[in-house]
Amino acid sequence: MKPEKSNKFLIAALLLGLAFHGSSIFFTLETTYDALIHLFFADHYANSWFEPWNYEWYTGFTVQSYPPLVHQSIGVLSYIGGVKFGMFTVALIAITLFITGTYRFSLMMTANKTVAGYACVLAVFSSSFVETLHIFGQLPSIVGVSVLMHALPEIYLWLKTGKKWYLATCLSLISVTVTSHHVTPIFGMVFFIFPLIGMVLMDVSKEQVGTMKAVTFKVFLNSFFKLFKRIVVFGMLSLVLIVGCIFPYWLNSKANPITQVPIPHGSRDNFLEITSSGLVFFLIPWGILLVLLPYIFYRYYSKRYLFFGLSVTICTILGTGGTTPVPLKMLGETAFNILTLDRFTLWASILSIPMMGEFAYRFVEGDMKDAIQKKFGGVYHRIIGGILAGLFVFMVIFTMSLNYFRPSQPQKIKMLPIVNFLNQDDHDKWRFLTLGFGDQMAWLSAQTNAMTVDGNYHSARRLPELTTRPIERLENSKFKGVAGIGSLQQFLTTPEKYNLKYIFSNDKFYDPILYFCGWQRLRQLENGIMVWERLNIPPVSEILPKEDVAKWLKIHWGIMPFLTVIVAFILNIQMLWVIMLKTRFKPIPEFLKFPVQYNKFNRNVIRITHVWSLILTIIIFYGIYLFYIKNDSQRSPENAIIAYYDALDFKEFEKAHSLINPASNLPIAQYMLEISVTDGLLSSYAKMDAIESEITKHNDSTVSAKVTTQWITPLEKIEKIDYKSLSKIKGKWYLQPDDLNNDLPPDQLYSDNVTKYYNQGRRRITTEQTHHEDILKQPVLEVISAKLVKYNGSYAIIGEVQNIDNVPADVILKGTLYNNDNKQLATYNAKYHIKHKLMPKESSCFRINFEGIAWSKTQDSIPDTFNPDEFTPVEFEEQPTKFNLQAAGNVAGSDLYKGVVLSDVNITENYIFGNLFNSGIQEITIPQLLISYYDDNKNMVWVDHFFVKEGVRQERKQNFEYQILEPGAVKIINTSMENIFVNGLPNSDISNKIIPNRITNHINNELQPINHPDFSYIKIEINTYIGSPF
Amino acid sequence: MNFKSIYILLLSIWLASPLVFAQKNTSVKLLTTKTEFTVGSHIVLKFKNANNNTPLLYCSNSYGTTLVTGTINNLNLEYTLPENIAKKIGVINWKILDKNYPTSGKLYIKPKAEVATMETYIGPPSIEAGGTDYSMLVVIPTDSLDNPVPTNTPVKVKNQFLNSEEVDNIFTKNLIAFKNIYSKKQDGRILVSSEALGTNSKEFTINAMPAVPTRFKISYSSPHNYADGNQITNFTTSVIKDRFNNVVSDGTYVDFFIKNAEGNVLKTSGLTLNGVANSKIIHPDHADNWSVKAYINGMAESNTITLNYKQVVKDFNVAFTNKNRIISVGPIQSFMNQMIPDGLHVKLHIYSNNQLVKILTKTTFNGYVYFNLKPAIYKNNNYNFKIETAGITKQFNKKLW
Repeated sequence: MKPEKSNKFLIAALLLGLAFHGSSIFFTLETTYDALIHLFFADHYANSWFEPWNYEWYTGFTVQSYPPLVHQSIGVLSYIGGVKFGMFTVALIAITLFITGTYRFSLMMTANKTVAGYACVLAVFSSSFVETLHIFGQLPSIVGVSVLMHALPEIYLWLKTGKKWYLATCLSLISVTVTSHHVTPIFGMVFFIFPLIGMVLMDVSKEQVGTMKAVTFKVFLNSFFKLFKRIVVFGMLSLVLIVGCIFPYWLNSKANPITQVPIPHGSRDNFLEITSSGLVFFLIPWGILLVLLPYIFYRYYSKRYLFFGLSVTICTILGTGGTTPVPLKMLGETAFNILTLDRFTLWASILSIPMMGEFAYRFVEGDMKDAIQKKFGGVYHRIIGGILAGLFVFMVIFTMSLNYFRPSQPQKIKMLPIVNFLNQDDHDKWRFLTLGFGDQMAWLSAQTNAMTVDGNYHSARRLPELTTRPIERLENSKFKGVAGIGSLQQFLTTPEKYNLKYIFSNDKFYDPILYFCGWQRLRQLENGIMVWERLNIPPVSEILPKEDVAKWLKIHWGIMPFLTVIVAFILNIQMLWVIMLKTRFKPIPEFLKFPVQYNKFNRNVIRITHVWSLILTIIIFYGIYLFYIKNDSQRSPENAIIAYYDALDFKEFEKAHSLINPASNLPIAQYMLEISVTDGLLSSYAKMDAIESEITKHNDSTVSAKVTTQWITPLEKIEKIDYKSLSKIKGKWYLQPDDLNNDLPPDQLYSDNVTKYYNQGRRRITTEQTHHEDILKQPVLEVISAKLVKYNGSYAIIGEVQNIDNVPADVILKGTLYNNDNKQLATYNAKYHIKHKLMPKESSCFRINFEGIAWSKTQDSIPDTFNPDEFTPVEFEEQPTKFNLQAAGNVAGSDLYKGVVLSDVNITENYIFGNLFNSGIQEITIPQLLISYYDDNKNMVWVDHFFVKEGVRQERKQNFEYQILEPGAVKIINTSMENIFVNGLPNSDISNKIIPNRITNHINNELQPINHPDFSYIKIEINTYIGSPF
Repeated sequence: MNFKSIYILLLSIWLASPLVFAQKNTSVKLLTTKTEFTVGSHIVLKFKNANNNTPLLYCSNSYGTTLVTGTINNLNLEYTLPENIAKKIGVINWKILDKNYPTSGKLYIKPKAEVATMETYIGPPSIEAGGTDYSMLVVIPTDSLDNPVPTNTPVKVKNQFLNSEEVDNIFTKNLIAFKNIYSKKQDGRILVSSEALGTNSKEFTINAMPAVPTRFKISYSSPHNYADGNQITNFTTSVIKDRFNNVVSDGTYVDFFIKNAEGNVLKTSGLTLNGVANSKIIHPDHADNWSVKAYINGMAESNTITLNYKQVVKDFNVAFTNKNRIISVGPIQSFMNQMIPDGLHVKLHIYSNNQLVKILTKTTFNGYVYFNLKPAIYKNNNYNFKIETAGITKQFNKKLW
């Protein structure tokens, strides 16, 4: 017998694919969304193969929440060359599997080796594969679908021939699919295997009646009954495998159902509205296939492939996400909100691969070439070919470079300094949190044993603080709008609940919220990451709770995945060898008996494809035109304003300057100088959320605009109204520059003497724990007054605390509310309403709000426009009547700037106007006013806060405008100072010992009288955040 | 007869049996008479033994329990107590483990009168000067086997403060010796060490910090007393001390409250350095009377001083141009008729039909301020304007067109 010839196309595809993807994964895979998450799981398996509980993420979760094969493979390979070596090796295997898979799938579909060869070459560069691998990094998904494609011919053969051997091979491959990705086989059943069964039935029917035309429904039904037993056997056994191979996964899904607020995903967007989602989840995966759609549908709706046609259609429709209401109706609310719909597009594109190969074959050397050449001539054929090839290459290059133009991840962070920091001095005894790391947080977790409260696999989240809100990670909460910041601040305010002590911040945006929640900067690591710490946090306890599972489940989970691979390997490759060696005879597979004759190409298809291409071209050009109109910054005054504010938002000052009226003679140097000296909450820490401009036209070349901008800052939401004038010069709109603050400081050079502090930490270099001589005494605080009050329906503890020690103190106040029966109702820490750092003898008023876990009641009560400054008051079932206050002082050495002066105050009916003056030598980035309200007997009844939006430069003034609280009486519930403790000791004992002769209500003479129905006096205290202290 | 004789026989055996056992009991006897040993010595318990068996010896002290195998030596049963038992002071309870020999007893291990190491603790590390606050020194001298020394072992506590060096004798009791070290009137650093039977501890530090501050005085200085809204007035406290004449610790926070002529409260603050707190405030931009008093909240306060700032801007011009939409204010001149330093706030209140529409605030540049009323915001109409700067107010009624 003539030895079988190797398929040149397949070999070319493998070489090309491995060379192209194999070399580019080293530049793409680590910046994808998912790859590093898989790496983290792999690291878990490498360290504890049989123990599914992982303590590092969230407050512990089980890795049985994701099929393990790919992770375990990386884990095994990591023993050779580390986890990254494992990941790249598995990626190479996945590429090989995918290419060979498409070849086998196409061969089965078309029964033509050349067509299958074309298909697999094209599949190497298909934009959906490129995107899944290089942008999303979904290795398990690729492995799953590739192995599924390998399984399809075996399924065909089992159904067609009924040989038990094929049943074994196809089931072995199905089980590998299951252990690598759980969603693939379930939906693969529907979208790949059901149509395949249909095709087998068609083929069997054809064999009975001779031609495809003669196949009627009756014949088809007959074949169905004939093969019914095989179908049922296959179906039941694969169901058993799907359940059995990853049984612990299903058990875990049942025990810990995903009961969380759906996390928004781009694939559920309306692609016409949110064009970026449309690009990533529709245009790119479809790519060149969009042009071929008429051909694909034409071929798939032929009788043999009818069921594939239905499957492709459903996948295509489901893949359109929220663009049409159909996917929501088809899937139902729950499934729609859990599934990411981009995978349907992926499957549709994979289902189309054989037809793409067929199209290419017929276009390049088949009947279509003849038909086109006959009708339009050879040159036209070549031009079309050139255009198609060009488009194809363009899509590949575009997809590969997407991350270059629109990076989905922050710059690569060197993890070594962070890993070293965590290993040092027992820092890993506390939990940490990363901010602004993107998916690289998974890579950090893989390298350290330290635990984080965050995590990167949101289906496994357990804390209600996380599951009740639509954010995937705390880490990137700023991108999740204010809901994200809202949830982050709960973690920052009560970190002791989670033993959270260290925060690694890669994003300056979060600095103010960290500062005002009582955190302090520790130092900047070599890689530029700022470490923040919070004092007075207990370390993580030695024994942590875990949800244990039965031993047999652990063993099953640890052994089964590789077992399926080994069995599949033996059955599909090893045994083939044996059979071939023994018999030297290989029967032609059944599916090769149904080839299609490519002799006469349907002219209508050519026509329709032309029309379709024309429509596509028009749509694309219209889209580009719209894009141009929207982005031509000086076409209309609205565009100019939006472009100007965008430029300011992204700190593109040169671009902003180019929009300033050139006639105003404002040189860029001057403009930059003016912009660069403005600091503050709004100019340094705000992200523009919305912009709206109201244009008043005066004449053709002059308009004025009222610009309302919404800004999200880490601290609060800010609405800003600016009035701008615009002029049209030579057809372009320009903005008029604004006036400057001319405040001139009196001194060119001046000096300041301050007391600075340095805490040695451990004086001796030792690993011994807390050498008692090195422990500083906790600074003694005194709670001067404290009371439980109710205002506007929410309860709060207010009062005044003083550092009565001789060293500066970091103050943490924790309040607990009780009812009459001493039942604990709520506990929370002071957040913004306190000066967290107090110099010796300095005092601060405070207020403790009692925040519940935001929106924990119903998911639909999440406000659309959440203000970070607002909070969800805890809902009390019983009336709080008593309170307990725990004050903890720790020696502080930083953030002790006190150079701010209240230099002018004017009180009107509703407002306080005033000036802040910075008398020191550091620039104040965010000044905060703490305003305490007093009744007519000078009893403190309420504390409010106010962030001044602008910073204050050295020796300069900054005016502010504070709105006095609206009328509303404060109800004082309890003024007992009985249950107040400082550093664990009773407050009264301390005050009696250290200040027995305290002058009570000492500063009452200096209160500022106001005109208000409910309040008679106020006191203003000032707290300052310094962005870059020195 | 049969029954009777059997009965008597059994009865006599039953009655005789205790005698037999009782005699066996006395056959093991403790030969060692010493019950007190010095810690660390070699302890052997000897028993006279009639039987030739070697039961285990159960012995237990406060650290734990162990079993000791006996050896037979010259017909005597001997138990050598292991080192880990013998080197701990305290009571050892022992018992022979055999039902037949319920012999038991106690040994007392006495401490050695030697000191090899000293554990020393002191706390809190900082206290308040004045003689009432104290820090406690705890000394635990131990012998070479890490046992506490005998009760009433003398320990010398030495401390140095300023010019005085003191030595006190204290005695151990309940394993430890302790002493409360009271602060003196002055603040400063107290160095403490201890000595027991020739062994010295290392050096410890207690910081005596100044006590609560007392009344102080404040003064001010400034380049001139004009209300130019630009120069800076400095407030200085006298050296703030506690009641023992100690200068308060550096960084003590002093609040300066300023009441101006309108009765509004301004505020600045200072931190002490060598007892003197300095604070600054910018001059007001209009004539004003300030009364200033400084506080250390709840503890101390200063005298009240008053400051008078003289008006510098006597008058200014206002001009309306460009359909009355550009309002130029100035020149604004200072006390020597120089242009006022840049940055003086000028407020423009705009009223329409006696309703306040808007307050615009701008700063002077080279003595002038220009307001540009944009037609988009201020429609053509009659407006009342109130211009306010340096405490001077001017009103106008103009029509914008």
